[in-house]
Amino acid sequence: MNIRSIWNAIASVALKEFLHVWRDKRILALIIILPPFFTLLFGHAFEATELTGVPAVILDRDQTDHSAKLVKQLKKKNTFSWKGTKDTGGDPDLLRLHASAALVIPKDWASTLENGTPAPLKLFLDGTDATSADELEGRLREMLGDFQGQDDVQELTVKPLFEELPPEVFESLKTITPENRAKLKVEFQKLVKPWQTDTHILYNPGLRFIDYVTPGIIGLILQLLTVTLMACTIAREREAGTLAQLIVTPLRRMEIVIGKVLPYLGISLFLIAVTIGVAHFHFSVHFRQPFMLGIICLLFLLCSLGSGLLISAFCHTQTQAIQFAVFYLLPVFPLSGAFAPIERLPDGVRLVSDVFPLTHFCEAFRMASLRNAEFSYFAGDLLFLAIGAVVTCGGAAWILSRTDA
Amino acid sequence: MSTTPQNAAVPAISAEHLVRRFGKFTAVNDVSFRVEQGEIFGFLGPNGSGKTTVIKLLTGLLPLSGGSAQVVGLDVRTDSESIRERVGYMSQNFSLYDDLTVGENLRFYGRIYSLEPARLKRRIDEIIALNNLGPYFDRLAAQLSGGWKQRLALGCAMLHEPQLLFLDEPTAGIDPVARRQLWDLLFELSGHGITFFVTTHYMDEAERCTEVGFVREGRLLVKESPRRLKASFKSRLIELEVDPVMPALAALRNAPGVLDATLRSGHARIYAAEPEHLLTEWQRAWPFPELTLRNHAWVEPDMEDVFKAYSQGFTQLLDSTAA
Repeated sequence: MNIRSIWNAIASVALKEFLHVWRDKRILALIIILPPFFTLLFGHAFEATELTGVPAVILDRDQTDHSAKLVKQLKKKNTFSWKGTKDTGGDPDLLRLHASAALVIPKDWASTLENGTPAPLKLFLDGTDATSADELEGRLREMLGDFQGQDDVQELTVKPLFEELPPEVFESLKTITPENRAKLKVEFQKLVKPWQTDTHILYNPGLRFIDYVTPGIIGLILQLLTVTLMACTIAREREAGTLAQLIVTPLRRMEIVIGKVLPYLGISLFLIAVTIGVAHFHFSVHFRQPFMLGIICLLFLLCSLGSGLLISAFCHTQTQAIQFAVFYLLPVFPLSGAFAPIERLPDGVRLVSDVFPLTHFCEAFRMASLRNAEFSYFAGDLLFLAIGAVVTCGGAAWILSRTDA
Repeated sequence: MSTTPQNAAVPAISAEHLVRRFGKFTAVNDVSFRVEQGEIFGFLGPNGSGKTTVIKLLTGLLPLSGGSAQVVGLDVRTDSESIRERVGYMSQNFSLYDDLTVGENLRFYGRIYSLEPARLKRRIDEIIALNNLGPYFDRLAAQLSGGWKQRLALGCAMLHEPQLLFLDEPTAGIDPVARRQLWDLLFELSGHGITFFVTTHYMDEAERCTEVGFVREGRLLVKESPRRLKASFKSRLIELEVDPVMPALAALRNAPGVLDATLRSGHARIYAAEPEHLLTEWQRAWPFPELTLRNHAWVEPDMEDVFKAYSQGFTQLLDSTAA
């Protein structure tokens, strides 16, 4: 064996392998289109990592010039998208308000501000996503700090400090140079305490990230298994020729589709029970509304099994099916809100997120289990999953009936 | 199944001017034929001649582009579901589930045809007995050899007691012994009144059929019994014993008056419109100095010769009135 013949042998295998890819137009199309598409998609998705436009409500129970000024100041930043609402008194219900945060300016806040010791502002935060809640609280404090730093407000807050000073100090102040006066001002500013908020964390008071991320973990594992398992089922029969055999029997296409989905549905439900068990016993995650969670899981599984089946009906070989499954699952990881809230994604990218069953599964699961919300709050997500299940399974049956095996 | 028309006058298959186009390509072109109940109809043709497409049209897998067909008395355009309940189909590569056992494969197909448990059990017992599959009942299909796989596939296709079985190249890739055993089985089943529609490439199998159809480029050239087909070969055949034989074949094919020459048992078989004249010529003046003509013999045409004449379009050799 000389070098030349070894090289020839390797080159002929390489050429053959290249031809496999080249001849498979479906895979070729994926390879050409998807990398630039995903680069654009993911690039835009993570271009800005700051939270913006978080739905928030401001309740001004003071209704004074001071409070109006504070409201105006808060609206300057785009972290929150503040909206007014009818104040029904009591603590705001974030779910009903469709808001992640609510700030209450208490009555007589302006007069306490005049006194130099402003009453703390009440902040209500949705703690479902623990990291976002922390971040939002910090941002709000920053904004309050900015407000506090404004000259006229500062005067009000610095005033009590002056009152405690003996008269001699004021005498001596008259004699110091403007330079020193400025330095002194800075020193006084440092003495002013930043305002505290009276923060109430709702839905996940312990701010446990594991509680937030559990539905994401369960959903992602199940999504991965269901789609890849299912994607091979029809393609495998097509490769083996058994599909042709099935199609000449009196079996209806829908019977094939439903028959194929059922065992995998059973397996997946069992797997969900296992993952929930691990989350509960190992990570002490509590699950509320178990019945509703069951419905959510069932619809989610039907929808993702249907997606896998649709891929399978469309592909001619198992290789193609696996490729398509991988390319379908790839964007689901970062864009479905499994590990980070989709609120962080820009609007255009969120349109893509809304297509994924996992996005709606996570939303609905968190609504039901973490926020203990009523059915109406996640009915939309369930409707999407149900329609998705019908469309994907029906689509698979339709493709099957059109192909002459 | 009791509602099926069992009237002997109803043909198992009646096809009138079948046409199937795929885009601009016409895969089946104006094909008409009848298959009577109890026939073993052999459908012969080169690869790509449209044999499998005809089966797909008759089982309702593909819609017709033109013409009409009745299978077991039912219209393929409107009753394809009822037809599928009454016919069986065994595809080219014995499509079985390799990771299921013999018994599981049988039970699976039985349930698809919604056989009641008692009938399913009886049918499985019958098929096991008929096909001698007993010792392999709990073996995975993947572990069976080609011949046994094919018996199992046949068993699966006839669990629901079809009146008509479509077998698409049932003997492709299996050894001659298994092939003969399969045909013995087909004869036995045919004796029970089952009609067979069998595609094949093997001429010895064609001889075993009660009727044979030749199809070429989507057209049915002829449908006749093997005996009449052979009778339709009007020209006589000479076999030459000539040395060396391989160069002789090449030279003879190009000789004037010769349509083709093939090698049969070491001799060159000559297809010619006027073989007597040719032989006289050769005996007078042998035109190939490098070849030695040792002997000659007249032979009877067999199915392969007939098929050759039809598939290569040697109409001069055929008596169009006989077939």
